[in-house]
Amino acid sequence: MLRKSYTSGLMFMVIAGLAAQPVFAETPDQILASIQNDAKATPGFQGFSAARGESFFKAKHGKESSCVSCHTDNPAAQGKHATTGKPVQPLAPSANAERFSDPAKVEKWFKRNCNDVLGRVCTAQEKGDVLTYLLTIKK
Amino acid sequence: MKRVLVWDVPTRLFHWLFATSFAIAWLTSENDQWLSVHTFFGYLMLGLIGFRLIWGVAGGHYARFTSFRYSPMAGLAYLRQVLSGSGTRYLGHNPAGSQAVYLLLALGLAVCITGLFTQGGEEQQGAAAGLMSIAAGRMVKEGHEITAILMLLLVFGHLAGVAVESWLHKENLPRSMVTGIKDAPEDAPASRPYRLTGAMMLVAVTAFGAWWFFYALHHPIEKRLGYGEGVPHVAFVGTKLPDNAQWREECGSCHLAFHPSLLPARSWQRMMAEQEKHFGTDLALDESTSKALLDFMVNNAAEKSAREAAVKINSSIKPEDAPLRITETPYWVKKHQDIAESDWRSAKVKSKVNCGACHQDAEAGTFEDAAMHIPR
Ligand code: HEC
Ligand code: HEC
Ligand code: HEC
Repeated sequence: MLRKSYTSGLMFMVIAGLAAQPVFAETPDQILASIQNDAKATPGFQGFSAARGESFFKAKHGKESSCVSCHTDNPAAQGKHATTGKPVQPLAPSANAERFSDPAKVEKWFKRNCNDVLGRVCTAQEKGDVLTYLLTIKK
Repeated sequence: MKRVLVWDVPTRLFHWLFATSFAIAWLTSENDQWLSVHTFFGYLMLGLIGFRLIWGVAGGHYARFTSFRYSPMAGLAYLRQVLSGSGTRYLGHNPAGSQAVYLLLALGLAVCITGLFTQGGEEQQGAAAGLMSIAAGRMVKEGHEITAILMLLLVFGHLAGVAVESWLHKENLPRSMVTGIKDAPEDAPASRPYRLTGAMMLVAVTAFGAWWFFYALHHPIEKRLGYGEGVPHVAFVGTKLPDNAQWREECGSCHLAFHPSLLPARSWQRMMAEQEKHFGTDLALDESTSKALLDFMVNNAAEKSAREAAVKINSSIKPEDAPLRITETPYWVKKHQDIAESDWRSAKVKSKVNCGACHQDAEAGTFEDAAMHIPR
C-alpha cells in the first residue's frame, strides 16, 4: 500500500514535471513554416516578402489604428497599448525570445489584432509577410 | 541644599521617546502615505507604555507609582493652590502632575489599542488583522481619533503645568527631565541611574526600528513588482491576494490585470459572456480558458473578499447593476473625484485604467493607502 502510493507519487511528479514544460514550444521558423503550409493552399502563392510585411505592418487599413499604434514602428523596441498605455514587450524575436514560440498564442493575437486593425482576420499571406519582416529585424 | 538624581535614565528615555512618538504619530496621521511611519510609532508607544507600567513598580525611587500615589482630589487641590500663587514644591511628580502621568498612560494605551483595531478592521493589516469587520473598524476609528485628541489636549495641559511650575519655583523643569538632576533638601532620597536598563531600552528601540524600516525598505511593494525606486515613503505591506498565472497572462496583456476583488461575481460573468465585444475587442478566448478564468474571478470576486476596496466597491453597486468598469462603480468615482484634471492628463497617467500610475501595488490588487502616490 505504502509502496503503491510512493510510486504513484513519483509518477505524479514526473507527469507534473513534463506538464510544466511549454508543451508547444516552437521556434519562429517552425511557426513560419506552418503559416507557409497554410499559404500554399491559396492559388498563386509566390512566397513571403519582408518588404510587403513591413508596409503592411506600418500602414493603416481603413481603421484608426495600425500595428504600429501598439508595437511602434521599431518592432525591436518596447511598445505601448494605444488605449490603456500598458507597456507591450518588443515583438521582434531578436529582441524578445518569447515571441513566436507558442503557435496558439500567435494565432490568438493575430486574430485579435487583425480584427482591431483591419476589421477581419489576416490571411496566411499577410501573417507570413509580417513574420518574415519581423525576423529580419536586428536588435 | 544638595544636587540629587531624581529622574533615572530609563524614565528620561521613556519620557522623550514617548513624547516624540506621540508627536510624530500625530503629524503623520493626516496623510495615508505615511501610514507605515504612523503605525511604527504607534507600536513603539505601546511598547513604551508596557515598559513604563513595569518601571512604575521596579524602577528608581521617583519613577515608582508608590512615590506619586495621589488621588484626583489631591490633584485638584494642588491646582487650586498653584492658581492662588502658592503651591508646595515637589521633588518628584506633584499631585496634579501625577494625574497627568496616569491619564497620559491610560489615554496612550487607549489610543494604541484603538489604533491597532482600526488598522486591523479597516485595512485588515497589522497585529489585529482579521479580528474585526471593516464596519467595526470604522467605529473603532472614531474612538481612536477622539482619544488621540484628548491626549493632545492633555499634553498641552501638561506643558502648561510644567511652564507654570518652572516659573513658580524658579527652576528649569524641562532641563531636569534631560539631566535627571534637581536641587533637593539634605534628607531627600536619590535615585539610582539604572544606566544598563537604559542602554537595553535604547538597543530594543533601535532594533525594532531597524527591523521595521529595513524590512519595509527591502520589501516595498513597488520594488517587488519592479516599479523602480525613489518612492518617497515606506510602503506598508499587507497580506497577499489570491493570484493565478493563467489569469495574469490572459487578462494582463492589454492592461493591468484588474484583480477580481474589484468587481462582484455578476460583473465578471457578464464580462465573459460578452467577451466578443470587450471594449471594442473580441477576446476570442476558447471555452476551457474562459471557464478557468471565470472560475478564478468568481471565486475571488468582491463579495468573497474582506479587503477595504472590495467591500466598499461591492456595497456601492446597486444589486440590479452589473458594471463592466471598475471606474464606473460609485465608490471608485467617489474616491477619485477630487483628483485634478491636470493629473489625469499628465503623460504619466493618461488613462483612468492606468491604475498603476498612482497605485504602486495595482499589480498586486491590494490598493493600500500607503502605496498611493500621484506622479507629478
Ligand atoms: C491595440 C494594441 C495592438 C495593436 C493595434 C496590435 N497589437 Fe499585436 N499585440 C498587442 C498586445 C497587447 C500583445 C500581447 C503582448 C504580450 O504578450 O506581452 C500583442 C501581441 C502580438 C503578437 C503575438 C506575438 C507572440 O508570439 O507573443 C503578434 C504576432 C502581434 N501582436 C501582431 C500584431 C500585428 C500584425 C498587428 C497589426 C495588424 C498588431 N499586432 C496590432 C497589442 C496590439
Ligand atoms: C486584447 C486586449 C484585451 C484583453 C486581452 C483584455 N482586455 Fe480588458 N480591456 C481592454 C480594453 C481596450 C479596455 C478599455 C480600456 C479603456 O477604456 O481605457 C478594457 C477594459 C477592461 C475593464 C474595465 C476597466 C475600467 O474599470 O474602466 C475590465 C474590468 C477588464 N478590461 C477586464 C478584463 C479581463 C477580466 C480580461 C481577461 C478575461 C481582459 N480584460 C482582457 C482590452 C483587453
Ligand atoms: C491619477 C491617479 C490615480 C489613478 C490612475 C487611479 N487612482 Fe485610485 N486613487 C487615487 C487616489 C489619489 C486615491 C485616494 C483617494 C482618497 O483617499 O480619498 C485613490 C483611491 C483608490 C482606492 C481606495 C483605496 C482605499 O483604501 O479606500 C481604490 C480601491 C482605488 N483607488 C482603485 C483604483 C483602480 C482600480 C484604478 C484603475 C482602474 C485606480 N484606482 C486609478 C489615485 C488614482
